[in-house]
Amino acid sequence: MLLHQMVDAAALRHPEAPAARCDGATLSYEQLARRANGLARILGETGLQRRDRVGVLLKKGLDVPVAFYGVLAAGGTLVPIDPRSPVEQVIRILRATGATHLVSEPEKRDVVRTALSACPEVCHVVGLAPDDTAPVPSVPWTTVAEEERDRPPAVAVIELDPSYILHTSGTTGIPKLILHTHHSAMSFVDWAVSEYALTRDDRLTNHSSHHTCFATFDYYAAARAAATTVILTPAALMLPASLSALLEQERVTVWYSVPTALVQLSLRGELESRDLGSIRWVLFAGETFPGKHLRRIVQQLPGARFSHVYGSTEVNVCTYYHLPEPGALTGPLPIGRACSTASTLVVDGAMQPVAAGDAGELLVRGSTVMSGYWGEPERNRQVLVRRPFAGGLDEVYFRTGDRVRALEDGTLAFVARDDRQVKVRGHRVELEEVETALLSLAPVEEAAVFTVPDGEGSCAIRAAVVVGSGEGSSQRDILASLRRVLPLQAVPTEVAFLPSLPRTPTGKVDGRALRAQLGEREGHDGS
Amino acid sequence: MMAADDRLGPEMPDIESRVLAFIRRELLGPDASVTRDDDLLSGGLLDSIAVLRLAAFIEEEFGFPVPPGDFVIENFRSVTVLARYIRRATAGRPAADSDR
Repeated sequence: MLLHQMVDAAALRHPEAPAARCDGATLSYEQLARRANGLARILGETGLQRRDRVGVLLKKGLDVPVAFYGVLAAGGTLVPIDPRSPVEQVIRILRATGATHLVSEPEKRDVVRTALSACPEVCHVVGLAPDDTAPVPSVPWTTVAEEERDRPPAVAVIELDPSYILHTSGTTGIPKLILHTHHSAMSFVDWAVSEYALTRDDRLTNHSSHHTCFATFDYYAAARAAATTVILTPAALMLPASLSALLEQERVTVWYSVPTALVQLSLRGELESRDLGSIRWVLFAGETFPGKHLRRIVQQLPGARFSHVYGSTEVNVCTYYHLPEPGALTGPLPIGRACSTASTLVVDGAMQPVAAGDAGELLVRGSTVMSGYWGEPERNRQVLVRRPFAGGLDEVYFRTGDRVRALEDGTLAFVARDDRQVKVRGHRVELEEVETALLSLAPVEEAAVFTVPDGEGSCAIRAAVVVGSGEGSSQRDILASLRRVLPLQAVPTEVAFLPSLPRTPTGKVDGRALRAQLGEREGHDGS
Repeated sequence: MMAADDRLGPEMPDIESRVLAFIRRELLGPDASVTRDDDLLSGGLLDSIAVLRLAAFIEEEFGFPVPPGDFVIENFRSVTVLARYIRRATAGRPAADSDR
């Protein structure tokens, strides 16, 4: 099955069922299917060919699912862009993917105009207002509404065709662009619908931004079950007491987010005065969940079961662990056992399986694994490795870069990340890229960044810089400059000025000595 | 408790200006264009950590604790709305209209 066919199927069986809700407004499955198919028709008429890339730059709202399914129904490859991206990031993504079309909205007109002038390959835009002069032909949303259709246009698409390209929060340079097919997305969707027994009575929290892999659950698993995705707006997400009131009002049944969001809800969500008994599953992924916070929210939501799901955007989800009864919660949480879609292997530096119980890098083989990084053949050779199977045949494993070890009962425990990619409140940040951004500032001669626990289960980025003699610069100046080039989560919370950076004999920055010098504790997961 | 405005001499900036100055200085950067009535929450101007820092500033600057129940959209939507909340809180009247 193809991702957009789920919506047509749900619209046939349950036309009136709410597909999505946002800020009190509802989009039924029938409305969603008709609008998405109308958009697909417009995209086809403006020259979109099977597998062409289509950027989607929209704030959270009911237009997002229309854009998603419309692009897919037209046979296009969806490229959802983080709506908070600076325009440089939008340009990098559109250029790197070679997008020919862009779906956006009037609110984003300035970003769209600037991006289009730098991206000549984009030849059509959908979603600007009629009087928003665009440098290329543009179709407004009102026309999409008039084009509603029962059926998608006839485009040959197979399950192994691309469905979407997700991007990491790459800061300087090009972010990682992760290509999935209809098949790799559907494999995860079918596993999730079955494991969490999703039905059309479910209402899923749509917490994360739609450019992340959380959207695969929030949108597509919901559609597979003809359930409702409740799109939570940034305003509600910033204010936990408003969020919990909304969860109660919408009677949500399944929550899925990074742990940080649950910690905020637990600490500041006034949960004791809300009735959240409708929530039956709480899924979390992306970071370590500090035990004290986890134990508290488990008690605050006594009707819910909790599930720790593990996997990067490259593999969707590959292992999972359902928490036992609250009383049995001790020690760090395992990442659990492989989903029915995945097979795992723990290997040493020579890519040989380690002895049972030893730590090693986790490899994953399975139907939910990405096709590869867009435009990065060398990186693909490094991370998608062939291993001999039998009969002269190989099998392909994805190198996760995560160190894990098997526990006695066969479940896996996370040990550490191999490289310097960290999570800040659920967002991937490459520490090297923050350093590159610091070094691009005129007064900065040397820069090093590291992470410290933020006390709420995530980590904060600290920076140390060496500025040139005679250069006047303050923390405020540096942070203000960084905010222009980095996403919010990648901007350090503090910048220390040092006469020099401590270095190892080989000349690398000595992270341990740097922490000691600045009086910081080691570690970034805060558990 | 004295109303916050009473503490200000005629040359002191009003609550709105002080909150706006903090947002420009500490949260968004000096070039940011933000006005008293801009939607702070929907427009992608702030994130959840910025909201916490803003609340910490309010507690320190205006001398009252912001309880969790006051962390609601109705109090944080814009600088004008925030100033209204700060005036209510410092005047000792019920802090928010959100206690449903």
